[in-house]
Amino acid sequence: MESVSDTSWDVVICGTGLQQSLLALALSRSGKKILHVDPNHFYGGAEAAFSLQDAESWANEVSAKDAGLFRSASVARHESAAGLSSRSYSLAMAPTLIHARSALLSQLVSSRAYRQVEFLAVGSFFIFRLPQDSAQQPALIRIPSTREDVFAATTISSKAKRGLMKFLKFVLDYQNPPQLELWQSHAEAPLTEFLQQEFKMDAELQTYIVTLTLSLNGKITTRDGLAVIRRHLSSMGVYGPGFAAIYPKWGGLSEVAQVSCRAAAVGGAVYMLGAGVQAVETAGDEVKLELSSGDTVKTRILVRADDNPSEQTGISRLVAVVGSPLTSMFEVVVEGASRPAVAVVAFPAGSLSTPAGKASEYPVYLSVHSSDTGECPVGQNVLYLTTLSTPDSRQLLEEALEAFVGTAGEGQPAQILIQIRYEQLAGSGSFQPEGPVITFPSPSFSLSFDDSVLEPVQQAWKRIMGDAAAESDYMSFADREGAMDDDDVYE
Amino acid sequence: MADTGNAVKPSSSVKLVLLGEAAVGKSSLVLRFVNNDFQENKEPTIGAAFLTQKCNLPTRTIKFEIWDTAGQERFASLAPMYYRNAQAALVVYDLTKPTSLIKAKHWVAELQRQASPGIVIALVGNKLDLTNDGIGNGADGDGAGSDDSGDARKISTEEAKTYAEEEGLLFFETSAKTGYNVTEVFTAIANAIPETSLKTTRGPGASHAAGRTEEQRVNLNGPRDPNAKEGCAC
Ligand SMILES: Nc1nc2c(ncn2[C@@H]2O[C@H](COP(=O)(O)OP(=O)(O)OP(=O)(O)O)[C@@H](O)[C@H]2O)c(=O)[nH]1
Ligand SMILES: [Mg+2]
Repeated sequence: MESVSDTSWDVVICGTGLQQSLLALALSRSGKKILHVDPNHFYGGAEAAFSLQDAESWANEVSAKDAGLFRSASVARHESAAGLSSRSYSLAMAPTLIHARSALLSQLVSSRAYRQVEFLAVGSFFIFRLPQDSAQQPALIRIPSTREDVFAATTISSKAKRGLMKFLKFVLDYQNPPQLELWQSHAEAPLTEFLQQEFKMDAELQTYIVTLTLSLNGKITTRDGLAVIRRHLSSMGVYGPGFAAIYPKWGGLSEVAQVSCRAAAVGGAVYMLGAGVQAVETAGDEVKLELSSGDTVKTRILVRADDNPSEQTGISRLVAVVGSPLTSMFEVVVEGASRPAVAVVAFPAGSLSTPAGKASEYPVYLSVHSSDTGECPVGQNVLYLTTLSTPDSRQLLEEALEAFVGTAGEGQPAQILIQIRYEQLAGSGSFQPEGPVITFPSPSFSLSFDDSVLEPVQQAWKRIMGDAAAESDYMSFADREGAMDDDDVYE
Repeated sequence: MADTGNAVKPSSSVKLVLLGEAAVGKSSLVLRFVNNDFQENKEPTIGAAFLTQKCNLPTRTIKFEIWDTAGQERFASLAPMYYRNAQAALVVYDLTKPTSLIKAKHWVAELQRQASPGIVIALVGNKLDLTNDGIGNGADGDGAGSDDSGDARKISTEEAKTYAEEEGLLFFETSAKTGYNVTEVFTAIANAIPETSLKTTRGPGASHAAGRTEEQRVNLNGPRDPNAKEGCAC
């Protein structure tokens, strides 16, 4: 049997994060000799999903290493959580929503990989609203996001409704002449400003719209904001009534990455865990790699991802498991819709403050995942909180968590069973498709899948395939023999 | 959504993974189950293979999504991505080859440590046709004499069965070559999967069934059309 060292590989892919795994999928029918390695002992890289024990050992590793893109990771179990079964959890490092109009979904369909992924509906978006006066309680306000929804909403005045309706109509056609003129002069200005000036929206309505963009700094430009809102609205109802985005069961993008690797393995790719690239030496047309497993391998092309952190930007994350079903978060709001498994709550900038009294500068987003996602046992929920890193961001995440469990708990605050905290940094490199070593950018922070993540993958594919690459063949495969899903036709 | 559900049984999919030493007959068992066929010189699996097959139970249809993995050592890293979220595993050994049972025990231990807590595991001793007790009476454990001359059997039914009982595994001896007991393994697995862990994915009765999880899986293969009102055709 040929060993990994004796084989002359066409491609060595290092890391099993989303981009590398999608590349492996894209190459799965190419006939290329592919060695796919990962320094970790788990699949998924920065997009992995963890059992409790995996999360604990990952956090220990991160603390011991002090390099790479992750920092300050810790796992805390509440004492009542001592008996929890570790493997009943599949906690996602990248709990990213995918809009129905995302090119990722069309690629998963055309490559047939989607058959192995179960997708669930993402339901309502909420805003956490502070009390207007001391007699009120803080509340979660559902954002209406279709016209029917706006009509039915009881929380907004009829004047505001008209403004909102006008805006929704505008966005659906915003790239065409009369609408184009309205926003182009505002293109680089914050979306909020545009909404205020052209649609006379008050601060609350502006917040609704900005929340739908899931902008991490809350300052998305008019140009980007309109594109994202348009995607949101045009995604509504594509795969069924009442939802715009979907979520892969069992850990989000982790599942997409693994399904891609499985398809690559079926295509003959060889997989090695616990084998990172330690040294790279280019000699002529060949790259010689030393793997941490001790093997030395030769390849034409090496693909890896940037993990040199920049100190500029990062996000703080808090993952909390709560022992309450939180059913009010997952109500079916459109007739005939299926029950959503994910809800999103935004804490707008300024709605939280540190114990020292400093107001939050950026929004905090909290995704609520029910047990239907397979990420926790029945009767519990996983909460994923994200905000841009600041000196206060960890405290603000705590505040947001506390505020949420106090507001969303049925009657009494939901009990927090597990908390995982970490910081994730952006990389410092840019994508380089030339030469024998291709380096992907570091993982995107976007809370809703950003299609630009797909571009480097396709370019790397093109580079590897050379003249054999026909754009129309990209990710376009027939079902493999025996793997037909005849159930897609109702019997 | 009235009771139109009598005509069509609810159907659920079950993810199943095959593990075991190289050449014990994993792919042959799948080939027998899916195509009712056998190949004398089946080539080793490279990486993994994916196949589907339905299993009809009295009250429901189970659609197996079968991941057949390569047993060769160089593919050992693959297993975790295939047993992840699997509801069932078939751990196969060759009952004429003692090392293959040791390997099978390793897989069972790894599954018990790493796979989903409720995973149904079946231990399968394959190549029963090479033993004297041959076809027709091997699986019950009666008359499982192990050392008759000319008998290639190296692992007694008793030994494997005792181990399976201790670990709470289903246990079968099979022959992919003759087909003996092959369907039985899959049917037993289908029956052993707890009803509650079966998500009804298709068919009437899927939604609004009282006390059960309603239809939730989003179908990407449906019409990708925003105007397709109330899309699901049920
Ligand atoms: N006599 C006999 N031979 C069998 C039986 N099942 C499989 N074989 C033979 O054993 C050899 C290996 O079978 P495979 O099905 O390829 O084994 P495998 O476990 O899939 O092997 P890997 O893919 O390398 O892990 C082939 O030559 C088969 O024909 C059986 O029940 N009886
Ligand atoms: Mg095989």
